[in-house]
Amino acid sequence: MSNFIQLIKNEQMKLYAQVSTWVMLILIAVFVIGMGVFFKVDGMMSDDSEQAGENWEQQLEAENEQLQTEMEEEPGFTSMNEETLEMNQYRLDNDIPPDGYDVWDFVQENRGNISIISLLTIIVAASIIANEYKWGTIKLLLIRPISRTKILAAKYTSVLIYALTMLLFLYLLSFLTGAALFGFASPAEPYLFMKDGVVNEAPIFQHTAAQYLLSSVNLLMMATFAFMISTVFRNSALAIGVAIFLMMSGNTIVSFFADKEWAKYILFANTDLNQFFTGTPMISDLTLGFSVSILIAYLFVFLGLAWVFFTKRDVTNA
Amino acid sequence: MSEAVMELKNLKKTIKGKPIIKGLDFTIHSGEVFGFLGPNGAGKTTTIRMMVGLMQMTEGDVVIKGHSVNSSYKEAIRHVGAIVENPEMYPFMSGRKNLVHYSRMIPGVTKERIDEVVRLVGLENRARDKVSKYSLGMRQRLGIAQALLHNPSVLILDEPTNGLDPSGIREIRSYIRRLAADEGVAVIVSSHILSEMELMCDRIGIIKNGELISIQSVQDALKETDKKEVLLEAEPVNEAEMIVKEAVDGKVTVHGGEIVFTAKRDELPSIVNQLVAGSVNVYSVTVTRSTLEDKFLDLIGEGAIE
Ligand SMILES: Nc1ncnc2c1ncn2[C@@H]1O[C@H](COP(=O)(O)OP(=O)(O)OP(=O)(O)O)[C@@H](O)[C@H]1O
Ligand SMILES: [Mg+2]
Repeated sequence: MSNFIQLIKNEQMKLYAQVSTWVMLILIAVFVIGMGVFFKVDGMMSDDSEQAGENWEQQLEAENEQLQTEMEEEPGFTSMNEETLEMNQYRLDNDIPPDGYDVWDFVQENRGNISIISLLTIIVAASIIANEYKWGTIKLLLIRPISRTKILAAKYTSVLIYALTMLLFLYLLSFLTGAALFGFASPAEPYLFMKDGVVNEAPIFQHTAAQYLLSSVNLLMMATFAFMISTVFRNSALAIGVAIFLMMSGNTIVSFFADKEWAKYILFANTDLNQFFTGTPMISDLTLGFSVSILIAYLFVFLGLAWVFFTKRDVTNA
Repeated sequence: MSEAVMELKNLKKTIKGKPIIKGLDFTIHSGEVFGFLGPNGAGKTTTIRMMVGLMQMTEGDVVIKGHSVNSSYKEAIRHVGAIVENPEMYPFMSGRKNLVHYSRMIPGVTKERIDEVVRLVGLENRARDKVSKYSLGMRQRLGIAQALLHNPSVLILDEPTNGLDPSGIREIRSYIRRLAADEGVAVIVSSHILSEMELMCDRIGIIKNGELISIQSVQDALKETDKKEVLLEAEPVNEAEMIVKEAVDGKVTVHGGEIVFTAKRDELPSIVNQLVAGSVNVYSVTVTRSTLEDKFLDLIGEGAIE
């Protein structure tokens, strides 16, 4: 075990000794801070008087009345309006005033940047083994009293650590940027969401953290896929290309085959776990348990393939 | 007799139906420097790759200190330090960091040991520089440092003098000799340069097309073939030629004003004396190459790579 930790230390050392890793960190920082500044400037130019005033209760009641009449006139938008209606009612019943745009809204908004982290993690996952071959260092790496399985496991774990580090960095940086630009708010601030037709309430910190993690499922799967491809073909460019292509086209693939019986076994039909918490699944007979099982099965296949090729193959120059 | 540290047992490798290594059998003892000599493509690197477990053996086994590379790899490789082909290191890290990296993979390598090997290979002034700024020779030294970190019983060096300057070659040579003599390390050195091997090794195994065609101690080989080819520049040529012909048994030829003949080293002074006594002006006497090299070329043939 202790030498597993040493191996991970080695991988992290190599990762952060490379300029490209730092460029990636800076890239994320630029995106987050840039977005914050843009929103701030943009928000100042439009009206920023959305802050809840003293009379928020009257405002919500008025809004509800308006929605009610709208629904009677135009039944087409009923479901959406109904949600707003119920949320507003919940606020009135439980005395939770709506809040303006604050740090937590910004943190939620930055969830979109997870796709950038996915891209970066794919690059790292695709390079972590292929580069050892490219540099020729694989030979010196493998002639140690450590099994190839352990070396592979340390590399994969390092990719996961990298992804977690990046997610944490994104979360913290968007929190700090948001707090500086849009004002601090308590992490216990309630967040309201609809589930099974009922309004639920959760502390905003818990909600955003969970959302970040759920959004990273796709990241995990694609990074593992890239890791496998690069281990099998020892070519990072190929692995990066295929993984990014699949990541981009995943939803298209699912909707293309949506009417097929086996569509629910497609990886991408199962990567959005958020759909079980806050929405309706793309394919109707999916459940959380089923999706998680499918994801784990894919993980096993990817890692199994990587393992077979990494441990069984001769190390040559070709 | 010192103990056998590494043993090759009917080692074979076939790649895509083509036999590359066709059954190698030999033993290497502690304190011995073993030269693994062969022309390009003979299979030296392939053999070394199998010794260190980078390639699977098609047949046979390598046993290191009683542990089979096939069945107990970790125990076997613990005693091995190696460079396989070029000494490739992480270019974006310093030489020292590279060593720290490898030291973490073997239990018991201390910071002091890292400093010690850095000094041993003479890199103490450049250890903090990035490897990308190193010359080939410096990288070769770092490669040797890496192989020595864990005090191995077997040191395998694939063309270790490749890229070293003459003083570097001499340093490495004396260092390898010292390791073998003082610490009983068994050193395996591959090369295709015979003259280098003659100076460094106790025994030389010659490999060609995946087969060991000769294995001999250097001393024996030299005893057997201590005749040297000699170039003599002297005037007048005719008289010199006559004197030489009388003094030696072999063929004596004249090439562009120089007399070429083979003679034992011991015979040379008396030949020169006779030349001087016969009032021949001697301008130079050059010993071109040992006949060991001829023997090597005879053995491997000067033909193309198969
Ligand atoms: N992966 C491979 N696939 C097919 N043939 C290979 C492979 N690796 C090596 N060979 C062949 O094996 C033979 C031996 O190669 P090897 O690299 O062991 O030679 P070498 O003795 O180290 O030569 P050099 O002095 O040039 O380093 C060559 O004929 C080479 O073509
Ligand atoms: Mg070679």
